[in-house]
Amino acid sequence: MSIIIWILIAVIVLILFIALGYFNRFAVLVNRIENSQSQIDVQLKKRADLVPNLVETVKGYTKHEKGIMFSVTDARRALLGARTFRDRVKAGNQLQEALKSIIAIGENYPQLRASENFKQLQEELASIEDKIAYARQFYNDSILEYDNLRSTFPGIFFASIYGRKDLPYLKIEEAEKKVVKVKFE
Amino acid sequence: MSKQIQHIDFRDQIARNKRNSVFLLIIVFLVLIGIGYIIGKVINADFFIFMSLFSVFSILYIWLSYYYSSNIALWSVGAKEADKTKYRQLYNIVEGLTIGSGLPMPKIYVMQEESINAFATGRNPKQSVVCVTTGSLDKLSKDELEGVLAHELSHIRNYDIRFITIVAVVVGLISIIAQMFLRSLWYGGMSGRDNSNNNGKSDALLIVIGIVLAIIAPIVVKLVQLAISRKREYMADAGSVEITRYPKGLIGALEKIKNDKKPIKVSQAVAPLFISDPAKQRFFNLFQTHPPVEERIKVLKAM
Repeated sequence: MSIIIWILIAVIVLILFIALGYFNRFAVLVNRIENSQSQIDVQLKKRADLVPNLVETVKGYTKHEKGIMFSVTDARRALLGARTFRDRVKAGNQLQEALKSIIAIGENYPQLRASENFKQLQEELASIEDKIAYARQFYNDSILEYDNLRSTFPGIFFASIYGRKDLPYLKIEEAEKKVVKVKFE
Repeated sequence: MSKQIQHIDFRDQIARNKRNSVFLLIIVFLVLIGIGYIIGKVINADFFIFMSLFSVFSILYIWLSYYYSSNIALWSVGAKEADKTKYRQLYNIVEGLTIGSGLPMPKIYVMQEESINAFATGRNPKQSVVCVTTGSLDKLSKDELEGVLAHELSHIRNYDIRFITIVAVVVGLISIIAQMFLRSLWYGGMSGRDNSNNNGKSDALLIVIGIVLAIIAPIVVKLVQLAISRKREYMADAGSVEITRYPKGLIGALEKIKNDKKPIKVSQAVAPLFISDPAKQRFFNLFQTHPPVEERIKVLKAM
């Protein structure tokens, strides 16, 4: 009789340990997802901070390109005003496109192209684009791992107990790209 | 699904590396004590005092190699911490890769050296260092440099750095001890020739054991080190592609490394740390530390 009780206790302890393990695993993954989200935000903020400096640098050389300057400052304002993460990512993409066209215009002015400040801004912009791409990739990888854990046994069982919901992937939407193109024609 | 398998794979690798590091340190301790025992016998020192001194020395040595091996390795190749404004692009690339892999930012070192090479060291990801040669910065494109740095970051993630760096320092020390040992036996043998042979038999036996140990120990350590480091290179190549999602970068870098014939003069002990064999051995031999570059390129192209 007592042996059965001991076995029961052992099984319960084992289940508790597994439950704890899954609880921690979910918590770690969700933290990772949130962290990569804030990483994207940090980079978007850096991109926005780059705008005044870039506009200032470029303005002196390119007198006739007022329109593009306005669209960049507009895009920056849209980014800083965006409430949700998704909107911020979207606004960030638009800002990137606008900044790229400023850089492209800048390339036409040899003096500007040669200036140290312009080169540095170019490198900064490129690296921010890379970092956002990497943060997105890490975000999606973490979601994949989270989904895998959530959809396989016994994770599927613990996910429902702990109320771990479906989290969305970050996708580059075709619509966003089109909007940007229309804006600069 | 394959992604999931890969993840499990590198977690195994991490566990293996941690376990091997502990094993290695224990084995080193035992070997040191063994060597101390033999030295004590040969030089006829007071057994108790000598052994306690030797144990203290061994423990100190193991403690040092655990906490300072990366500093020793960096110092031995003459690397300096990279200036943040001068190497801005390098810092930006590494920062991007750490975001992509979720690793903490390592310290970045640069070593003045014309040929293309890089290595990572440290005892865990938080205390890690990535070191590149100035040649890599000059000769590699941005994508290629990214591939190389991602390869180094996978070594960091897999805890290869802990194991390999400890091995490097241990190999360095054991070869020094073995050298000293062989030399002292040589001189001991010369002076001991005209002694009476009252305990000559046990002396001779000890000397034989000593010689065998002195010859075998470096070879064993070396073989252990090599057997493991080839698989590591393949895993780190795969990890690099997992981070950059762009195999062409690393392939390009390896192609350039292949055509770069100039060897780097570094101690054999730190050779396994590098992304490609710094000695540039072209022929196959037992002591090759890295899989042939051609093989690695082939594997990467098949990805």
